[in-house]
Amino acid sequence: MSVLAGIPYNTLVVAVGVAAVGFAAGVVGSLGVLRKRALVGDAAAHATLVGVAGAFLATGRRDLPVLLAGGLCSALAALGVLVLLRRWSRTREDAATAIVLGVSFGLGITIVSGITARGIPGGAGLEQFLLGHTAALTAGDAAMLAAVSAVAVAIVLLAAKEATLVAFDPGFAAATGWPVTFIDYALVTLVAVMVVAGLPAAGAVLVTALVVIPPVAARQWTDRVGRMLALSGVFGVVAAVVGVAISAVVPRLATGPLVVLAAAAIFVASFLAAPGRGWWARLRRQRAVEQAWVRGRMLSAAAEVSVDGGGFSKQRIAKLMGGEAGSAGPGFEAAFVSLVRQALVTPASAVTAGRLEEGDRWRLTEAGLAAATERSRRLERWNDLIAAAPQEARERLTIDLPDPGRAAGTDSGERRVP
Amino acid sequence: MHCPLLEFHDVTVAYGRRPVLWNVDLAIDEPCLFGIIGPNGAGKSTLLKAALGLVPLAGGSIRFFGRPFAEVRGRVGYVPQRETVDWDFPVSVTDVVLMGTYARLGWFRRPGARERKLARESLARVGLADVADRQIGRLSGGQQQRVFLARALAQQADVYVLDEPMAGVDAGSQEQIFRVLSDLRGEGRLVVVVHHDLRTAADWFDRVALIDMRLVASGPTAAVLTADNLQRTYAGRLDVLDELGRAVARRERTP
Repeated sequence: MSVLAGIPYNTLVVAVGVAAVGFAAGVVGSLGVLRKRALVGDAAAHATLVGVAGAFLATGRRDLPVLLAGGLCSALAALGVLVLLRRWSRTREDAATAIVLGVSFGLGITIVSGITARGIPGGAGLEQFLLGHTAALTAGDAAMLAAVSAVAVAIVLLAAKEATLVAFDPGFAAATGWPVTFIDYALVTLVAVMVVAGLPAAGAVLVTALVVIPPVAARQWTDRVGRMLALSGVFGVVAAVVGVAISAVVPRLATGPLVVLAAAAIFVASFLAAPGRGWWARLRRQRAVEQAWVRGRMLSAAAEVSVDGGGFSKQRIAKLMGGEAGSAGPGFEAAFVSLVRQALVTPASAVTAGRLEEGDRWRLTEAGLAAATERSRRLERWNDLIAAAPQEARERLTIDLPDPGRAAGTDSGERRVP
Repeated sequence: MHCPLLEFHDVTVAYGRRPVLWNVDLAIDEPCLFGIIGPNGAGKSTLLKAALGLVPLAGGSIRFFGRPFAEVRGRVGYVPQRETVDWDFPVSVTDVVLMGTYARLGWFRRPGARERKLARESLARVGLADVADRQIGRLSGGQQQRVFLARALAQQADVYVLDEPMAGVDAGSQEQIFRVLSDLRGEGRLVVVVHHDLRTAADWFDRVALIDMRLVASGPTAAVLTADNLQRTYAGRLDVLDELGRAVARRERTP
């Protein structure tokens, strides 16, 4: 508690509210992203401005719940227009989304600037909904946002099964009797609610970052929907809280851009460092595959030049593998070292036979010879398979040369090759 | 009273003004392995989707067990085309198979021990027990197709409809899928398969329907796959003439 002691009570309450919104936005947004509806949330977000300004004009007050209710109305109206556009005008989804986003945002900006220009009392603060501004949030506002977020998360927990089914395979869902359109509308509505709840934290222009970036970042780390939802929620909390905290410390800095930047940092880190899907991990896997291939070819080449139990030089191997002597291409040296370390290749000084020619400083061990024999056996069988059943081979052949017999799996082996 | 397991009555389907299926009349009375055969774009998949209520009929009616599909959905298992979903989706093999139990579970109820057991059995039946926990994107095409088949098995249906289950699938998986389908037929279920490969059609199906927008012929495989019928179905499609020749030659070889 001593750490928090210096922070004003109101700031703490606001942080809790914003954290709740970040969590729920990440969770709800995950389902939206999985349903491939990332852009729809953005259209809804840009449409909120019309409703926020409209609610202000209608009531003459700047109570957050009223303004957000207005924003939700216009967001849902925009989504309705989107559906109609697609159904009746045959406009493609991306174009329709762009149209709705642009037009509704233009309309919102016009109304807001009109209010500001006429100097309507209290209207000056409306621009805060553009880029987000949490300083004005009251404890009551924050509590309302937290409550909305809790309800949204509860709905997702309840209907995760249905939403996942529709997101994965809408055709199967429809054939087995699920109301796919209804579930889709419910999901999009939930996304719109979270977009509206995120307005104070991130603003209409950038709030989509809260429902899209954390899910995409979370997907990097896991292959399961449940974990993705949870992790996305956590990322949402971090992005929202970091953004709000920095804007609280640095005066006159809009929150939205900071929230986006925080989310982007999480995304970049995930993109680079996540095990499995991350860039680094993929690069290393690719390198390992290439290395294995080079090692394999090296073994075969070594076996070829040492038929009579003779030794060989690196240069001869390199030449046989197609490279220039001395500069056998990247990975050559590493592959060689790896073969030596695996005791497949060994220094020829240990050879008893006196056949070594000048420059022949290496030889295959017994294990190395066996490995080379096995490799050429597999190569031959794969070549046969490719000739006999290309479709089959394409399906199963990988560059690490699995055993064709074993990979054939069950019992169809005898039928495959006539 | 006896009624067909699956009956298409004067079914016409149109996308916009273009008819894709034209007055298709077809009844399947007995449990069997039934192939729907025809060239690309002949409307085979549309016929299945129409049966499952996924595309609207311009006219006609389709009945399972003499009743509209909506009343008997629970008794019909469905295997869609593999390409219709994103295999990068973050679910495991078991997760997908469990989806076959969702309709029976209903709203908000999660799969329990019984559903998990059913999923395990279904996976074992298609030979995928050892990849149950794998993310679906890490499977081969043939394995992915078998996951879909396992999901349909978990539906515990009486009629199974499959859309191109052999497309892009290796020989081993094809054999395995075919064996499961034969077993289903052996248990007294009807299995309807949309299939485009003439070469294997004669070996696999008890009965077939040849379709090219309209129904060309239907009945026992040997009686339907005649040179004359194939010519009428594939007329003018040069790319399949070779295939057709081979199919006919094969039929003439086997008595």
